[in-house]
Amino acid sequence: MAVKVLIPTPLRQYTAGKDTVEASGATVNEVLKDLGTQYAGITERMLDGAKIRRFVNVYVNDEDIRYLQNLETAVKDGDEVSIIPAVAGG
Amino acid sequence: MSNDSPTALSNPPSLPDRYSRQTIFPGIGVEGQRRLMQSHVTLCGCGALGTVLASSLARAGVGHLRIIDRDFLELHNLQRQVLFDENDVNEGLPKAEAAARKLEAINSTIHVEPVVTDIDHTNIIELAQDADLILDGTDNFETRYLINDVAVKLGKPWVYGGCIGSHGQVMNIVPGQTPCLRCVVESAPPPGMAPTCETAGILGPTVNIIASLQAAEALKILTGHFDAIVRELIMIDIWDGTFKKLKIAGLLDTVDCPTCKKRNFEWLDGKLGSHTTSLCGRNAVQIAHRSSERLSFETLEKQLSPLGPVTYNRFMLKFDVDGYQFTVFPDGRAIIKGTNDVNKARTLYAQYIGH
Repeated sequence: MAVKVLIPTPLRQYTAGKDTVEASGATVNEVLKDLGTQYAGITERMLDGAKIRRFVNVYVNDEDIRYLQNLETAVKDGDEVSIIPAVAGG
Repeated sequence: MSNDSPTALSNPPSLPDRYSRQTIFPGIGVEGQRRLMQSHVTLCGCGALGTVLASSLARAGVGHLRIIDRDFLELHNLQRQVLFDENDVNEGLPKAEAAARKLEAINSTIHVEPVVTDIDHTNIIELAQDADLILDGTDNFETRYLINDVAVKLGKPWVYGGCIGSHGQVMNIVPGQTPCLRCVVESAPPPGMAPTCETAGILGPTVNIIASLQAAEALKILTGHFDAIVRELIMIDIWDGTFKKLKIAGLLDTVDCPTCKKRNFEWLDGKLGSHTTSLCGRNAVQIAHRSSERLSFETLEKQLSPLGPVTYNRFMLKFDVDGYQFTVFPDGRAIIKGTNDVNKARTLYAQYIGH
């Protein structure tokens, strides 16, 4: 499954500045693994071991995966995965 | 305005006139305006977000506006903090005080209460308990979790706003109806894991949009239009030109939130959060050393003047030594510029101000 992954500004240093990249997988977990294979270092910023860091949220088509099936949430062709870090400034 | 006669301009504007362009809007109306004029808002932080919020709400006629800020004005604030000007910087005014002066000139019919203090677990209940709404104009998660604790505990709505660079987020928190901050952001990014104003910068338009979205939500909440509030997490990026609403309502039933489910108010109880904070984008550390007695700047000036230049007014004392700039407030709090190292700052405080 090819999905569109939206990369937040702080992580774009790993994607050569690209705000959207393609990754493949049948679940969010597989998509993130593929993302890490393509762009070294990016998953360490999002994951703490096998879990998503507590200040990062992941959405599939604008739905928070924590009330779907978390990292096991299924994705299909054309889905959009958004990585949303907490924003502290103001 | 072209229809206003000179006679009308020379008289103090009556309330309906002053607010006519918003009372004619069906969502507000005369009843909504009456509610705005009777409402109390506590605004936490009066920097970039806070000045836009304060200006919007004062102009809209919110009856009582308590503006809390711990900081003083510097030239680099003027790039985005819309209520302030160079005179305020030259006068060395605290932001809350400078904002109150401007707001008084903008709308003399409302009550603006400036409070120059650092919000912490010892004072937030007092600052928030009479408010109908709490607004977030802060720049750090520690204060936001504290606001979240007090809002959930007292059952008061609050509106989160955060921005960095060209990106920003807004979220309404209505205890019992929507997920709280901790449902959505389980913990704050640790140091070095998230960009700051220093590393990523901040654009004026980002702040204006985020604070304006917060102000719009505030108008709905204060006029009782809870049916109209946005229940998603709003996310914008002005450089990418994107606006998204991310669905979070489902978290209310799925997250076992320590704050709103278990009612453990860890920040409010003083179990979490420190009293020393590195200030976003400032190469500075704040030491919130609380003293039971107010400092005598006269005495301190005598002690410090042999070591480096000292100036003071009734709001603050400034002292330069070894490339560090101290700003000390009457309650014993200090901002030490020239380091991001909290321990170094604690040492400097102990060396020059003492405990």
